[in-house]
Amino acid sequence: MCAMRLTGYADKFGVHPGDTIKFYVNCDGPAKYQASVVQMINGDTNPRGPGFIEKAVKADCEGVYDGIKQVVYGGSYGFVADAPQLKPDSFTLQCWIWPTTPKTDKRYWKHGAQGLVTKWSGGKGYGLFINTDGCVELRINGETYTNGAPLRDHAWHFIAASFDALTGEVVLHHEPQVVYALDPEIPPVKAVFRGKVEHTGQPLVIAGYVDHVEPGPLGLPSLPQGVIVGGHYNGKLDSPRLCNRALSRFEIEMMKGGAQPGLTERRNAGPTGALSEAIVAAWDFSDGIDTLVAKDAGPYRFNATLVNCPTRALTGYNWAGQTFDWKVAPKEYGAIHFHDDDLDNARWEVSFEWTVPTDIKSRFYAAKLTTPEGDEDYIPFWIVPKIGQEQSKIAVMVPTISYMAYANEHVACNAGGAELFIYRVPIMQQQNMFLAEHREYGGSIYDTHTDGSGICLSSRLRPILSIRPKYDHFLAQAPWQYPADLHLICWLEQMGYEYDVFTDEDATYDGLARLENYNVIITGSHPEHNSGTQLDALHNYTQRGGRLMYMGADAWYWVHSFHPAYDGLGRGVVTEMRRCESGIRTWRADPGEYYHQGTGELGGMWRYRGRYLHSVAGTGMSSEGFDISSYFTRTPESLDPRVSWAFDGITYEENLGNFGLVGGGAAGLELDIVDTMLGSPPHILTVATSAGRHTEAYLLVMEDFGFNQQGLDGTVHPRVRADVTFHETPNGGGCFAFSSIAYCGSLPWNNCDNNISRLTKNVLDRFMQDGPLPAAPKEAFKHRGRADYESPALASST
Amino acid sequence: MISIPKKGTPERDRLIREHLECVQSMAGVAGFSVLKCATPGDTTVISGGVHEDPLLKRVLLRMRGASTKGKLVVICTRLDAEWRIGRLSGIRGVPPVFATDEVYTSEQDIQHAIFLMRLDEMPDSDGFPEHYHEGYKRRDDNWPVT
Repeated sequence: MCAMRLTGYADKFGVHPGDTIKFYVNCDGPAKYQASVVQMINGDTNPRGPGFIEKAVKADCEGVYDGIKQVVYGGSYGFVADAPQLKPDSFTLQCWIWPTTPKTDKRYWKHGAQGLVTKWSGGKGYGLFINTDGCVELRINGETYTNGAPLRDHAWHFIAASFDALTGEVVLHHEPQVVYALDPEIPPVKAVFRGKVEHTGQPLVIAGYVDHVEPGPLGLPSLPQGVIVGGHYNGKLDSPRLCNRALSRFEIEMMKGGAQPGLTERRNAGPTGALSEAIVAAWDFSDGIDTLVAKDAGPYRFNATLVNCPTRALTGYNWAGQTFDWKVAPKEYGAIHFHDDDLDNARWEVSFEWTVPTDIKSRFYAAKLTTPEGDEDYIPFWIVPKIGQEQSKIAVMVPTISYMAYANEHVACNAGGAELFIYRVPIMQQQNMFLAEHREYGGSIYDTHTDGSGICLSSRLRPILSIRPKYDHFLAQAPWQYPADLHLICWLEQMGYEYDVFTDEDATYDGLARLENYNVIITGSHPEHNSGTQLDALHNYTQRGGRLMYMGADAWYWVHSFHPAYDGLGRGVVTEMRRCESGIRTWRADPGEYYHQGTGELGGMWRYRGRYLHSVAGTGMSSEGFDISSYFTRTPESLDPRVSWAFDGITYEENLGNFGLVGGGAAGLELDIVDTMLGSPPHILTVATSAGRHTEAYLLVMEDFGFNQQGLDGTVHPRVRADVTFHETPNGGGCFAFSSIAYCGSLPWNNCDNNISRLTKNVLDRFMQDGPLPAAPKEAFKHRGRADYESPALASST
Repeated sequence: MISIPKKGTPERDRLIREHLECVQSMAGVAGFSVLKCATPGDTTVISGGVHEDPLLKRVLLRMRGASTKGKLVVICTRLDAEWRIGRLSGIRGVPPVFATDEVYTSEQDIQHAIFLMRLDEMPDSDGFPEHYHEGYKRRDDNWPVT
């Protein structure tokens, strides 16, 4: 099979000249590997295009390195370092759980017992578990106690277990919150354990247990370092408590209230003062939802460190369905959903680093790794000028948030090939095959976790095998995202343009300062995922005379935020997104779980936060289909003197882009249209359209209709099309929207000698000029309604 | 419901012929659909296939909607050069395995090979929605959702 023995990542996406970038490499097998730096120009190996192009770059990190295996420890959990109070003679453990995979297939990648709250390792200690039969289990040393009642998945259960060292009595409670008419009663299990709890020095673990200790180099990436946690729990866990004596059932009930620090006549309610003396720890996950700490409200403050960023800001066992924002009712959001495939940071050892020369060009680069046996991997990164030291008039805004959203996606495998929407059998590349086996590398925001819940967080501190050259995506059977954007880069290079690059992170953190020194900003083919400050920056830029070339489609769609808990590790380390009430969703957020855990902002589509997609660059998403692409033809508005310059050298009649390296045409995959009711400015000109030329695989987006009915596909629905548009913005600015993800795939066709290349060049040459764009003719200034004309782009109305 | 035509029937032969012609016309397209390019490798003018053969469209929809377990996929084993047929496990973390020893040198031709395998493997009533079973109670039907 196609084993990938070389994988790696860098500590940054964007690095400034003069700064240092670190690379982390896993070399699993070969004794040595060669590292070098290359400039990336074309990543598409399609023989009908220019072929793969990279350019060697002199770098002092170039050399042969020892091959060292580095592994990823996926799966989220919390841990508390060992302490005397965590080693009681008697104890009571209790918590609420909402398990998602209480039972797993023997072939499941992490089949085995799942730890809930454990101070147990290697047959010593105590802890609450779910056993392989899907039943709650208490472990004391090597003994296990269970009730034979399998846990219902996706349901809240209250679990408690106590041990009295004096009498030896063990009691295990399992109380489903909802009991259906024919559910058998689950009485508490009582037993006797003769002996003492044998305590270890290992940490207490929430949602897992200490599997073993790895003192060698392979243990370095785990947390705590060298301690390998296994038995990852899938599901929500809420309000765990640990007491230092065996509580009665009534006391356990009181203890659900948790620690009430500073209990006075005027505040708090919960366990009595006497009962509170038994508390060792009473975690309150509703405190610090935007952090990586699971806070303990108990007397010893045994705050748990959360590893691999489990999902928070999710409804707890007590959610009332009245409040939907965790910030307003945090006490109803005391659940953390742990997943056995969560990953926030591979935490590998640095393999080599490179201090970027100060005189280097801002471009797409990659660390190229090879072995004599034929192994190969690329770690892409971008050299981004410092603000004020821009090198060109043109800048490409690299859609790195979108790259992160698609990072390591498993849809081809998870979704039964997703054949109903790609309209063919998917092709899996070696990267897909590797990821299908290596779930620990984490999934994308398009995937569901191994337990079926949606993935809403993505980290860039891990090998991301989808941000690679020579990688065709199953959705397109062609390049997608990073390698597709290289089509644009290849064109810029071949046409001899000087350009800078910066990333979504730079726009998010720097705002207008990052954009304002350029005459024109060019987007990637599919900048779908965006932060609010990035959209603010684009708005401010175009309003102040900046020019925007929107080279793709389905952009400005989803609300993203960077998780603030990772700010110390660099820009944009972990991005968060929730798939809320509408939009194209490969999973759907549950009720009450629409707000981001990192920033607390409402997630979902920008459209539903009143920021219409069409308001950013003129057009917004209308449809998608993934089989084959089509082409554009001009509309009468293309003859308007405001825009006719864009068609110099192009006849009115010719087909625009009926060729290309993505779907075979310039209009394909995902398509954007004008809609003056959804934010397109009233003076926008539609200069070309693909109306009426798409296959039945292309379907109208669901946010554009409220009623399911026939006739939504590309062969009949007039909104299933792409519109190429132009509009002026104040102060001599302007936006050109090319409105199709496949568009950039036509640029390099026939050595860049084609009409899509010509159109793009005409626009770029005009947009890159210094000073404001020439003013529109006087007669173009007039009062316009939003829909007081019939758009000639609508094929159905002509 | 509409059956998948049985072996030896003229309908089946027609579907196979139509599918093959579409596949062959797609050679060189950086994408794929069961549609016929008027000029091979050029999507400017397309016709036939699922747009004009309702039976072919229904049969393909049923094949595409089949459950993940054991479903056939294409695995690229040498970039732009070799492809093989694989089978999904249906279990997360268990990767697909090769289903046949055949190595294909066209990423389009393998689509037809899988179509033929599915015609042989699927009973004529495969995937009928009226085949109610207990799994229908929790989405374990044959239309995978993401």
